[in-house]
Amino acid sequence: MAKSKGYPEALENKLRDRAVHSEDYNPEFTRKVEEISRSIPHMCFQCGTCTSSCPSAPRSSYRIRKFVRRALLGLEDEALTDPDLWLCTTCYSCTDRCPRDIAPTDVNMAMRNLAFERDIIPVNFLKTVQAIYKTGHGVPNNDVNKAARVKLGLTADPPTTHMYPEFIPGIQKILDHYKLKANADRIIKEAEGGK
Amino acid sequence: MNSYAFYLGCIAPNRYPGIEAAAIKTGKKLGIDLIPLKGASCCPAPGAFGSIDLDVFYAMAARNLVLAEQMKSDIALVCNGCYKSIWEVNHKLKHNDDLRDNVNEVLKEIDMEFKGTIEVYHLAELLYDPKIVGIEKIRESVTNPLTGTRIAVHYGCHLIKPKKERHFGSTDRPTWIEEMVEALGAEAVEYRNKMLCCGAGGGVRGYDIVHALDIANEKLINLQEVQVDALTDICPFCQLQFDRGQIEIQEKFGATYNLPVLHYSELLGLAQGMSPQDLALDLHGISCEPFLQKIL
Repeated sequence: MAKSKGYPEALENKLRDRAVHSEDYNPEFTRKVEEISRSIPHMCFQCGTCTSSCPSAPRSSYRIRKFVRRALLGLEDEALTDPDLWLCTTCYSCTDRCPRDIAPTDVNMAMRNLAFERDIIPVNFLKTVQAIYKTGHGVPNNDVNKAARVKLGLTADPPTTHMYPEFIPGIQKILDHYKLKANADRIIKEAEGGK
Repeated sequence: MNSYAFYLGCIAPNRYPGIEAAAIKTGKKLGIDLIPLKGASCCPAPGAFGSIDLDVFYAMAARNLVLAEQMKSDIALVCNGCYKSIWEVNHKLKHNDDLRDNVNEVLKEIDMEFKGTIEVYHLAELLYDPKIVGIEKIRESVTNPLTGTRIAVHYGCHLIKPKKERHFGSTDRPTWIEEMVEALGAEAVEYRNKMLCCGAGGGVRGYDIVHALDIANEKLINLQEVQVDALTDICPFCQLQFDRGQIEIQEKFGATYNLPVLHYSELLGLAQGMSPQDLALDLHGISCEPFLQKIL
């Protein structure tokens, strides 16, 4: 219940009616978003500069301003289950222009991190994890490219983990430390099994 | 000769090897020696990994940084996405003890330690920096000037933005890459909404390709208005989005542009007399032929 400010009763009621009440309200969510993003969504005064700078806004219902508001109000479920969360191209135009020095891009990224904790994530993100676990790279080499590389005087495989696969176990150890591969496999299996 | 550990990333070596070949060869002529960073992995992709778990993102990028620390060599790279991962994680770990301790705890499992002893540069900033190369030297190295061509620049996002955390000045109207294009003898052309993103980042290309291509398509429409011969970029992922993306845009939206898209290193290679074969330009999705006919 909102704290009384000692106004006449009618005014108190009016003010109370205007306050946001939501079952979804979770103050921990605001704190977690601020911690992960290292940014300050609670400073947002909803001017909309972020959304008006956003390349995704004109072609979808994605509104970064709305997500910053959700961060501020602790609307966890509403934010994390909204499929628009994944339409940020991370171009940082909003971050460059925010008059309150908030990094809305990083606020979005923090929410994506929190969504992943609840297994909410598009599978294409996890497929990148699987590829990197296997080869160290997100993009595989192929025969056409190998032939072209040799013609250019380069090694058929680039001198990365492609040419030195002995470095891959180290990468796998890092990913396994965070159980990322196991989680990726599990979530993909659930998503594709449910189709 | 300034020497750097050459961090390749994923898309340049595996899709546009001409960028790698050009960077090495043109660098040599300009006093930049690029030495392979053996065993490097994906940076990791800031869109994918940053979205999933920032802790993993830091640790994976730190492993690449430690490889260069072991070489006692600063890193040079050719991709904006890689710059975001490698430069930003280097910067954050150097300035945040808690983060560094967390990362080092994980790296200990593979006998590595992040010490914070090196710097990370994008090749484009090294080329522009008069203390390293500079416009004058670029101009002097040109043997096949790109005279008579009109070239537009796509800066991309993650090298220069967010501007408060970077050191490249204006992100509204930058002109330093245009200066580098003009040094090659070409005319650098301004166009509407130049700083618009390519649309591929943040995992969006994989999540919703039509949405991602629609952003690229907007840029291509703006580029068509000013009738350029080529678009140049400094990021292989942006290049993939505009080059292979044009084929996908044709399939999905029915719009045809046939606009050649070249990384600045490839452009520099051509201006220094490298042939299209030396740059494997035939691997590009959109033929560079109309552009090449103007300069060869």
